[in-house]
Amino acid sequence: MARVREISSGRKPLKRAYVAMFLWFTGRAIQAAAKADNQVKSEFEALPENFTFSLGCLPDGPWMVVGKKNGVVKYLGGKLPEKQHVRLAIKNLDAGFLILSFQESTALATTRNRLVTDGEVPYALAVIRILDIVEVYLLPKIIASLAVKRYPKHWSVARKLKGRIAIYTRALLGL
Amino acid sequence: MLLPDYYEFCCRVKLIAGHDALEKIPELLAAKGARKPLIITDKGVAGAGLVDIVSRAAGKLDPNLVNDSVPPDSDLKVVHELAKLYQENACDALIAVGGGSVMDTAKGVNIVVSENATDLMAFSGVGALKRPLKPLVAVPTTAGTGSEVTQVAVIKDHDKHLKMAFGSYFLLPDIAILDSRMTLTMPPFITAMTGMDAMSHAVEACYCLQKNPLSDAHALAAVSLLYAYLPQAVNNPSDRDARLSMAIGACLAGMAFSNSMVGLVHNLGHATGSVCGVPHGLCMAILLPYGLEYNLHKREEAIAGLLLSMAGPHIYKETPEEQRAQKVISLIRKLNDDLHAKTGGRHARSLSEVKDRDGKPAVPREALPQIAQAALLDGASVYNPEETDYEDNLMVLEAAWEGKPLDRAKVKKG
Amino acid sequence: MKVESLLSFTCPVKMNSGNKVLEGLPFELAGLNAAKPLILASPNDTPPKAIKILLSAFGDSKMTFGLFDGIDEAEDLGTIEYLKNICQKDRYDALIALGGRAADAAKVLNMTVSYKLPDARLLTAETTINKPLGPLVVAITAGATGLETSSLAHFGNRVYRSEYLAPSLAVIDPRLAVSQDAAAMACSGLAAFARAVEAHGAVPENPFRRAYSFAAIRFILENLPAAVSNPGNRKAALAVANAAAMSGCALADGGNTGLHKIGQAFSGTGRGPAGMIMAMALPYMLNDYKVNGGFDLAALLHPLADDDTFAKTPESERADAATDIANRFVSGLQKTAGKALPRTLKETGLPGYLLEDLLETLDAGPDGARLCSVARRMWDGVSPDAKKG
Ligand SMILES: NC(=O)c1ccc[n+]([C@@H]2O[C@H](COP(=O)([O-])OP(=O)(O)OC[C@H]3O[C@@H](n4cnc5c(N)ncnc54)[C@H](O)[C@@H]3O)[C@@H](O)[C@H]2O)c1
Ligand SMILES: [Fe+2]
Repeated sequence: MARVREISSGRKPLKRAYVAMFLWFTGRAIQAAAKADNQVKSEFEALPENFTFSLGCLPDGPWMVVGKKNGVVKYLGGKLPEKQHVRLAIKNLDAGFLILSFQESTALATTRNRLVTDGEVPYALAVIRILDIVEVYLLPKIIASLAVKRYPKHWSVARKLKGRIAIYTRALLGL
Repeated sequence: MLLPDYYEFCCRVKLIAGHDALEKIPELLAAKGARKPLIITDKGVAGAGLVDIVSRAAGKLDPNLVNDSVPPDSDLKVVHELAKLYQENACDALIAVGGGSVMDTAKGVNIVVSENATDLMAFSGVGALKRPLKPLVAVPTTAGTGSEVTQVAVIKDHDKHLKMAFGSYFLLPDIAILDSRMTLTMPPFITAMTGMDAMSHAVEACYCLQKNPLSDAHALAAVSLLYAYLPQAVNNPSDRDARLSMAIGACLAGMAFSNSMVGLVHNLGHATGSVCGVPHGLCMAILLPYGLEYNLHKREEAIAGLLLSMAGPHIYKETPEEQRAQKVISLIRKLNDDLHAKTGGRHARSLSEVKDRDGKPAVPREALPQIAQAALLDGASVYNPEETDYEDNLMVLEAAWEGKPLDRAKVKKG
Repeated sequence: MKVESLLSFTCPVKMNSGNKVLEGLPFELAGLNAAKPLILASPNDTPPKAIKILLSAFGDSKMTFGLFDGIDEAEDLGTIEYLKNICQKDRYDALIALGGRAADAAKVLNMTVSYKLPDARLLTAETTINKPLGPLVVAITAGATGLETSSLAHFGNRVYRSEYLAPSLAVIDPRLAVSQDAAAMACSGLAAFARAVEAHGAVPENPFRRAYSFAAIRFILENLPAAVSNPGNRKAALAVANAAAMSGCALADGGNTGLHKIGQAFSGTGRGPAGMIMAMALPYMLNDYKVNGGFDLAALLHPLADDDTFAKTPESERADAATDIANRFVSGLQKTAGKALPRTLKETGLPGYLLEDLLETLDAGPDGARLCSVARRMWDGVSPDAKKG
């Protein structure tokens, strides 16, 4: 007769590494966009001093943390702080992969129950708006227009082009 | 039927509906092993004699365990007082008799007594609850919010001016009893607006981003009951079949929207409610046509699909395909007009028509920018199919203030 | 609407469907306060690779879980007793059933464990089940019975019934919904179709049940043919699996309906799956409903036809139109499937004496005479209309 076997869950090192890398890049891109894009800048200005938020995967990461100190927005690495204002937690690594490989936008993933949002709603909404704008910068139009509800046609070519270059360079250089 | 790439649907509540459904309560409580329920209600509901009916049907409730202190909306202090009452009397179940305010309060009490919580706040947000709570029987007395089947509760902390939201499948009541006797006493004006709240749940469920085949099926069933019976219930408040149909319709709508979520109508409605104090149902009635118009370009098929449920085969068949969505919108407007006429004008059709208690306009035009701004802080925007920013909100609010159809050429389309 | 007597409905099952649903299991289990699930599977009833796919979904969750892939056709309470002891000893706190057969076993195991029965072999169909059981998750697979989500457990020739038997969660993942077995796909879809049709038409009308059955019927009509012609078609197979899960939630009257009963009775003989039998019985049963009443055939036209067709059909013609669509749908699939979906009981090779036994079983209920006459007609497939006069 068959017997019960006890099994430990495997690991997914490759997916994990990929997700970690993209979280790192997204974190730095947010930091960059806070300087290069006026809308992102003003979203952050409306948020309180020391505002901190994180995006990452359950049950134990990877995570990225972005915070605002002395009015400056900074990528704060991959370690979850004790306290934060908003936590966007993707329910599992594979869903994280879908989102961070941009097969699903953050907004779309939210409407698909893929994320758990902790924190006050107005703050969480601001974070989702920021991520939306950053996604528009990071992605080619065909992908981004699927990812966001309304692809910003009304942005000037200059905003898109200059913004995209600035954010990519800054994100890579960590400025 | 559309199968989304991913969806979830859940409504674990045991539903009992009928003209004598309340009589089932003793048996249902016994099946849960409960003997000593605490009954939570508000003064309006108790004053209408509804608790007496429940008490008679449920076999003599202990009058010391009936408490009617729930204020409009809810209040953190009251939640803790009720929890104390529950614990001091070693109660083992909760019966909530009332509208959305009572349901929310009872859910809050249930968290406190089940988790032995000293601070309710520790359980706010989504996912903080990890295990089943005490048995909760929901007896709705308005056919509107659907909170007898929703997994959320909103509790107000009046001292700190905070609104705490709780979300968990464990907040779903165990049992919902839909009994026509519970809504017979609702005056036409409240019937009309709470009924339009239910209608807005069903309609928004059909176009919001989290819609799925099961939320659709529930929403369509809801629309057909609500559209057919709302005018009847308002015209003839003692029509038991109309009342029960409304209760069932509102419940189906609740099942639909708590799984598909709501969008622009609730987004702007919540903001209008908090800035100007307009009752939720009235906001819903006024804004519903605009939610449809604003999202029409993204959801024409879904909106057109409502026509059959609403108006029946004859009108559906007679309306050319390309005009069906528009027809749905005009039928909703017409329904509002009828309700306006039948309630002596109390059922307002535009924001400018809404009056406060003293008969003065409740929504001054100058308040619209503030409402548009407040709406940016409300989560419902996430689930609306089209993006909404401050200018979009203001444009919709202005049209709704004047009571004119939305100029759809002005809607920014993505 | 008129509600004469009490109307009730419960579906305790949460439904998660779509891309990467399985990977959500650790999160869902945590929400059910479970940390160490025991997975039950049946080697003969599970698509190849299904176990591997399920196990890999737990990757990176740091969870420990048990796997038992020995649920077999014998459906022996001894196995349940063995599993109960393991659950208690090794502290498993949730069950995950992979496929329909495992779901039945898991429900029975769940009862045994949750009620701390001294010995599973003491279970009888009369054992009272009146308290919530532990967390149970069913993974819907290709070839789903459609009863995974129901409050029934069929195990070892017994039927256990209780709302508490239904699982807390059903996961429907396209990777488990696809298969290579067209006949199994057809039977699974037809079982869902037949049960949903009965749930939708059952009187008195129940709008909650109708919502589930409406969606199930539409999904089957729109997707089953494509799924049968290519069971590897992810979209179509996922829709069929959804319909199967929905049909179990909608199951009318605790399964006390004609097609369901006939399906269960005959599939118990091992002459074919319930779906095949129910498809065979459908035209005769619908005819019986038409002649003897107690069923709302006209309302069925809405899920069976598209909105336009429904709206254009005059009320007096709806019942016939509905019957016609349902019959044509079933016979179309029977034609495609050939031998896998015989149209008469004779063709299944069922010996005559067994038929008589079964008729006796069917005759026991209040609708016995009706069911027997349906079953007799299924024997040689003489058209019900021809026999009517
Ligand atoms: N939890 C949820 O899912 C959810 C959803 C929507 C709204 N809500 C909350 O629900 C509240 C609104 O609920 P509501 O619209 O049901 O109103 P309500 O519960 O505030 O009741 C409105 C008034 O009607 C009276 N009343 C209720 N039933 C009556 C009856 N049968 N006869 C006579 N009078 C009766 C009440 O006493 C009260 O004065 C808001 O606080 C809102 O935040 C909760
Ligand atoms: Fe509402």
